Amino acid sequence: MVNLKSGDLTIEVAVSPDGVYSCTWRGKSNERNPPEILKPWFEQLLAAVGERKGSIEMHFEKIDHFNSSTITALIKLIQTCRKATVKLAMVYDQSLKWQRLSFDALRVFEKNDDLFQLRFA
Amino acid sequence: MSKFDDFGFSIDLTVRNEWRNIDLLRTSVQNCFIAVFADLDGCHAIAMVTGELLENALKYGDWTNADRAMFRLRVEGRDPNIQVSVQNPLKPDDVHATTLTKQIEWLASFPTPEAAYRARMLQIAQDDEEGTPSRLGLARIAFEGNCRISAKIENGTVNVTALLMREPT
Repeated sequence: MVNLKSGDLTIEVAVSPDGVYSCTWRGKSNERNPPEILKPWFEQLLAAVGERKGSIEMHFEKIDHFNSSTITALIKLIQTCRKATVKLAMVYDQSLKWQRLSFDALRVFEKNDDLFQLRFA
Repeated sequence: MSKFDDFGFSIDLTVRNEWRNIDLLRTSVQNCFIAVFADLDGCHAIAMVTGELLENALKYGDWTNADRAMFRLRVEGRDPNIQVSVQNPLKPDDVHATTLTKQIEWLASFPTPEAAYRARMLQIAQDDEEGTPSRLGLARIAFEGNCRISAKIENGTVNVTALLMREPT
């Protein structure tokens, strides 16, 4: 699985031996239409994760900023992963108020199925 | 007397409607406010509000007339609240004008901005149509920025204002 580099955004992927795809977001996600860039990359990621019957961890602790269109792409990713029964965790920095607000709001998508989790570092 | 009474601040710029200018302005506003306030979280909120308003202006403004390919950003502070306004061309009969007005009314119909934001996220999750504008930005401004949002459409321009209600530090 290749890293994503687009404009000011980089997502670096590291795969653990037990199939956890750890994706670290860096920089800024400030494109006009982030889903256009993120969706095809998420699809590749899901295909790779599916082959290994792995799971995904999205790490946002190092990202400086993302726009609301990026949040839309993340909501769609949560939905897609749940449909594909792929475990997805989003990890954020609770000491940053903007990250706390953005990610705590996504708890609306947490269910008892253990498929989507929010964690802070 | 609050320490904010000693000074106010004002940024007023007319800027070309280029997408890359959004991040230049967003980070400039953030850096200016970091120089004024010690509250880094508050500065990030002001910058986020600025960025989201500018993105909406570029996405939904009427940019068909090359002579009017500019928008105006104003950021003003008066003890302890901060007002961010973005003005851009928009025809009053444009679908985006109607959508904007309806969305502000919709946000105001919720008991809290957080409830509106969560409701909008759930709507987005249920929406299967590809490429539909999410229009999450205003709800994010209201919730994460703790803002009151208003809009005035007249003479072919729209002026969207977000009033951030900061707590005195």
